[in-house]
Amino acid sequence: MSRKKSKTYRFLQLARIISQLLFFSLFFILLLQTRFPGEDYIGNVEIFFHFDPLIGLTSFLASHLIFSAFLFSIITLVLTLLLGRVFCGWICPFGAIQQFFSFLFKKLKWLKIKSQDTFSPKAWKYYLLVFLLSAALLGLNLVGFFDPFSLLYRSFVTSLLPALAFIFSAFLTLTYQLHLFALGDTLVQFSENLGVNTIFLQALGLGLIFIGIALLNLKKERFWCRYLCPLGALLGLFARWNRLKLHLDEDKCIQCGLCTLQCETDAIPYPQEKWAITECVYCFTCGAICPTSAITFPFILRPQPAAMVDLSRRKLLATTLLGALAVPFFRLSPSRVRASAKRIRPPGALPEEQFLQKCVKCGECMKVCPTNGLQPALTEAGPEGVWTPILVPRIGHCEYYCTLCSQVCPTGAIQPLRVEDKATVKIGTAWVDKNRCIPWKIGEPCLVCEEHCPVSPKAIQLVETTVQLPDGSTTTQRAPFVELERCTGCGICENKCPVVDSPAIYVTSVGESRSATNQVLLQSGRGESSPY
Amino acid sequence: MKRRTFIKDLAWGSLVVSLRPWSWAQSATPGSPIAVVQGDSPGQLVTTAVNLLGGMSKFISRGDVVVVKPNIGWDRTPKQAACTNPEVVATVVKLALEAGAKEVKVLDNPCNPARRTYARSGIAKAAKAAGAKVLFPNPHRLKKVSIHGEWLKEWEVYTEFIETDKIINVPIAKHHSLSRLTMGMKNWLGALGGNRNQLHQKLDQAMVDLAAFFKPTLTILDGYRILWRNGPQGGRLSDVKLAKTVIAGQDYVAVDALGAGLFEIKPEELGFLRLAYQNKQGEIHREKMNIVEKKI
Repeated sequence: MSRKKSKTYRFLQLARIISQLLFFSLFFILLLQTRFPGEDYIGNVEIFFHFDPLIGLTSFLASHLIFSAFLFSIITLVLTLLLGRVFCGWICPFGAIQQFFSFLFKKLKWLKIKSQDTFSPKAWKYYLLVFLLSAALLGLNLVGFFDPFSLLYRSFVTSLLPALAFIFSAFLTLTYQLHLFALGDTLVQFSENLGVNTIFLQALGLGLIFIGIALLNLKKERFWCRYLCPLGALLGLFARWNRLKLHLDEDKCIQCGLCTLQCETDAIPYPQEKWAITECVYCFTCGAICPTSAITFPFILRPQPAAMVDLSRRKLLATTLLGALAVPFFRLSPSRVRASAKRIRPPGALPEEQFLQKCVKCGECMKVCPTNGLQPALTEAGPEGVWTPILVPRIGHCEYYCTLCSQVCPTGAIQPLRVEDKATVKIGTAWVDKNRCIPWKIGEPCLVCEEHCPVSPKAIQLVETTVQLPDGSTTTQRAPFVELERCTGCGICENKCPVVDSPAIYVTSVGESRSATNQVLLQSGRGESSPY
Repeated sequence: MKRRTFIKDLAWGSLVVSLRPWSWAQSATPGSPIAVVQGDSPGQLVTTAVNLLGGMSKFISRGDVVVVKPNIGWDRTPKQAACTNPEVVATVVKLALEAGAKEVKVLDNPCNPARRTYARSGIAKAAKAAGAKVLFPNPHRLKKVSIHGEWLKEWEVYTEFIETDKIINVPIAKHHSLSRLTMGMKNWLGALGGNRNQLHQKLDQAMVDLAAFFKPTLTILDGYRILWRNGPQGGRLSDVKLAKTVIAGQDYVAVDALGAGLFEIKPEELGFLRLAYQNKQGEIHREKMNIVEKKI
């Protein structure tokens, strides 16, 4: 018998790697493009998310609102119905990263594939999916913690890119120390143009999660994709009826078991009756590695229904219940009773309950924010709201004519805002701390907050205050007074306040237009002021 | 090599001020002409004003590196009159290049994010089209230098503003609640880094100290659209008045003093002008100035 590896599948394997590289590059370019584009409106830089049926489904289940952009995800489902989980193997950028690390760890011999390895919890991801769907059905959207696109995007925005920027900046310092001024200047202008936000709360934690998932590949190749990914599980369900089936030529097969050993997703190519159609991501490793070219994937027009991964009915029931049980536990939070002062949502954000049902914590808004002010929440919005965006004015304010975060939100948790309407949206209210304010407290001139207030007429007006000095004399200064109705809560006053540590003027969420209850004034109707 | 040696000097510290090549070459000449031009096209106003002063080649020599300092402080469109008119900036760039400048740089350290202010003010595009190198403020170019001011002794300055042959200040005339008006002298806060908001505690003095330190070759005040109230960024078009004026001259104090006239404010009413006058940095009395006026 001739022993010859298949050239076709070797070629397909290479094609798959190129496809993964291309889609990852596309993802990365779109990520970098998610910044102020030089004009008021940005294109569909968030398009990747709309091909994600998991986000579309859970957002719909939780909020009962259909976001039309997710119709794109039907393409993914149809693709899966026809060709199985090629999305996981050929397209998904997070899958590509897992595969890259698996490859790296194998090359470094840190990952050795054992022939007698019984560890194979393929069912985990299905249970996770059931948990997420069951919680979503009851209005609790936890998909953002586990969705691969959210995870990848968030990791890049809040930790990986900032870390790269940090290294780059250190390199720049070195360039200037070596007196390579022309080079340094060019690089600085280049990096300024990229507009990468470099400061993030929880950057370390979010980075560690990403690294942790990458390190799981030390245990098994593509650990995340095999055992954890809920999107992979969802696609697995659809892959059952697909037309691309493994065919093992019994005559050629020498039963070496190499295919099953090297399979990246526990799909078990040999023996054929064990092959799991829901697990195969069509990486074609088996086809390429088979010493006798016994494995092919013919396209079958009328496939027989194939077996599903063994799921225990008891566990399915348990995870469904667990998803339901999660609802009260995630909601035993004071932030549901009374708004937290620091929970300042981006302009255009839906009322809090709906916002949490839609937000997938992806970090698109945090990437596009021109001031770096949008940050992942930790405790400010309760357990449901971990990693959802909040404005931290001390880091960056909300730019008056900018609506970019509302434009890039992939789920509509932040509703698209037109620039003309931005000034009518109030996200909070500024308060003067008279005990720290320079004119109020020590009678020296300042007015930096008033200078920066973008509202016209200014929301910060000036009043005279007389301060008694220790020598018995008095001094009169003009001091800031916030007109509550006019203030939009943009936070530039807090950001620029020269009392650098704890600012003498600060914004809290009260007065936000999206809430009926988080209000100070009984009558809230904004004045006649127009942004133009 | 001049630049490189100069940077070395910076690093060595206190030699900075004494070695500034322009510090003796250009000073606010008392009695020098001040051009006040009115008309419909911002660009033409600048060209005419500079011609009235004797042409750009009077100020810029062949091979000079020139820094143009507009106000690009705010995320506002030209019609909102919070930043210098882009046509004004572009014309200054064009004139400097025509006069033989080797390189014209345009930069400012804005209050709102630079990528937004540079784009939405229209200045980056217009200045680039005119041939300038438009630069974002570069934190690696910040150096603490001696200002030698009455109040300001030292501060962090973007060195592009010091290691240059000539510097042209191109401010816009606006209302400001603390200094009442912001024009040429206030514009220098945009050349600084550090916690410059603390300068507001003695703003008039800071403005005077900075103006004496930077000593521009030429100040060209954009009074085409002026911000009448809610400065320094305004917002509503009703905050803006069309004054259709450009005021230019070597005496930056006189330029600001005449600029105050656009707002019907007497120069003596403004603290920074009084201080600058007392400090003999320039003239504030209209009758003692050599004003060349033209309407086009």
